[in-house]
Amino acid sequence: MQRILQEAEEEQEEEEYDVLVIGGGIAGETASLDLADMGFKVLLVEKEPSIGGKMFLLSKVFPTLDCASCISTPRMAATAHHPNIKLLTYSEIQEIEKLGEGDFRVKILKKPRFVEESLCTGCGQCEQACPVIVPKEYDFGLRGRKAAYIPFDTAVPKIAVIDIDHCVFCGQCERACPVGAINFLQKPRIIKARVGAIIIATGYKLFPIEKKAEYMFKKLPNIITAMQMDRLLAPTRPYNAVLRPGDGKEPMNIAFILCSGSRDRTVGNPLCSQVCCMYSIKQAQLLMGALPLADITIYYMDIRAFGKGFEEFYQQAKAMGVMFIKGRVAKIEPGENGDVVVWYEDIENGGRLRKATHDLVVLSVGLLPNPEIVKAFKNVKLELDDYGWVKPRDENISPVETSIPGVFAAGCILGPKDIPDTVLEAEAAAAQAAAYLREVRRHG
Amino acid sequence: MSRRPVRRKLTVHMLRDKLGLKPSKELTDMLKRQTEIKVKITRALRKQPKTVPEIAEETGLDTYTVFWYLMTMFRHGQVEEAGKTDEGFFKYKLRER
Ligand SMILES: Cc1cc2nc3c(=O)[nH]c(=O)nc-3n(C[C@H](O)[C@H](O)[C@H](O)COP(=O)(O)OP(=O)(O)OC[C@H]3O[C@@H](n4cnc5c(N)ncnc54)[C@H](O)[C@@H]3O)c2cc1C
Ligand code: SF4
Ligand code: SF4
Repeated sequence: MQRILQEAEEEQEEEEYDVLVIGGGIAGETASLDLADMGFKVLLVEKEPSIGGKMFLLSKVFPTLDCASCISTPRMAATAHHPNIKLLTYSEIQEIEKLGEGDFRVKILKKPRFVEESLCTGCGQCEQACPVIVPKEYDFGLRGRKAAYIPFDTAVPKIAVIDIDHCVFCGQCERACPVGAINFLQKPRIIKARVGAIIIATGYKLFPIEKKAEYMFKKLPNIITAMQMDRLLAPTRPYNAVLRPGDGKEPMNIAFILCSGSRDRTVGNPLCSQVCCMYSIKQAQLLMGALPLADITIYYMDIRAFGKGFEEFYQQAKAMGVMFIKGRVAKIEPGENGDVVVWYEDIENGGRLRKATHDLVVLSVGLLPNPEIVKAFKNVKLELDDYGWVKPRDENISPVETSIPGVFAAGCILGPKDIPDTVLEAEAAAAQAAAYLREVRRHG
Repeated sequence: MSRRPVRRKLTVHMLRDKLGLKPSKELTDMLKRQTEIKVKITRALRKQPKTVPEIAEETGLDTYTVFWYLMTMFRHGQVEEAGKTDEGFFKYKLRER
């Protein structure tokens, strides 16, 4: 791809929008829709081939257990079809320059999908024809996708992409496409825009748990992350049922290890990730529904059930039979037949070291900041806090304003949080951006 | 007189020729191995439905690899479920097209 990106053609015309929203997760969609409904012209830029962020990959949401994709898919569609929103997917912000209050110049790189967006019907015939298989990002590697692929069944937009770095140039996809949509001569474009305000909603990254070597992630096949477990439980799941990846067996004795890569100075992340306790309890409850005979154990340091209905949700899991063991996991070893042996300090029983065998272990991985966007700001500085999250201008009284007037932030780019708090911040950021624009335009 | 259809040059080949692109040896080796794995799994399933350990036993592949490819083939509509054993393993069979 790097070789092809060098061929990028810069557009001459500068497009104009009221607000640039960066990141098309639930925060970016919500802020864009609010502003668009108020009559502002919004440019929404998403770096992946589909909007939706992490939410549309989840199974259900805590504590209500509502279906995540039933909530997010209509919002994704509304975002893509709103007449006041221009959506650019598979695109990256290259440069942001502040020219004055209410005036930013932006350069965006639109990467080529090698598929004509106006022609592709999302039929998937190119994917069927392509011979190359690579791990599917949207399923966190649990299965493969092709080099020519539809990102996801419910992707918005549902348009194929060619992964040129894994293409063997066989031409099968192009021959198979019934509408002639595949065009390898498509070039990257640099789009220029002038915008009045910016909302950053680029979310979070998952903690790379392979950094914690004693947890054996990627070394033992039956140790997965909680994001992979959410995929296994989702209606759009990668397998035909909840099965363990090592051999396809239905797991009957599943363990969760909380705070994997959170509240842990040894791996450089001393913060609590705020959602891991609750998403693990959610997954435990869903597993009891999917596998009624399975034993579920949660190893925890302390359960942080601080939100509305969270404590009740925790008590409900206990009542359903989920075992909660207060203990720090010290070591993980391979067991027999693909099982996993967990050594833990049993805090409530005198701190003795004990071992237990599970047939599937889920690491409840933490959330990390995603501060890449900082580099795009050329003549103004976007300040981060000591941990790398975007720093609000004033944590107490202006939580969604950043160090740059006219630039706002919402969702997990500001720190780990759940979906309702993300939505609340997105609505606040949209209202603040609208107020800022009205103010500068009144004086301009 | 029969006229041969005019074959237009594919854009993929135009791009490849224009930029002198070539798949790496690593990629072509990977593709070869993938094709072998898929052929082995398909052959193993031709006679009767099987579980992942049974396919692994017959093909000499490890169970993780068999399951990963099987689920990729499952999602691409090439295999389907065919019952379950008491040990909690699904059986899979080739999907008739
Ligand atoms: C395993 C797990 C389970 C969870 N379960 C729940 C739950 O049940 N209930 C709940 O309330 N919360 C849950 N959460 C938390 C939830 O995922 C977040 O609250 C929510 O996704 C935050 O949304 P966001 O839009 O801020 O970020 P994201 O979902 O991360 O979206 C950010 C978007 O920005 C895009 N982006 C990133 N960088 C750039 C860039 N430079 N340019 C353009 N675009 C960019 C990304 O591709 C993405 O689309 C869970 C989290 C995890 C890890
Ligand atoms: S040309 Fe590339 S993307 Fe298309 S089928 Fe062949 S390998 Fe797949
Ligand atoms: S590129 Fe062609 S074959 Fe592939 S999904 Fe689109 S229309 Fe179908």
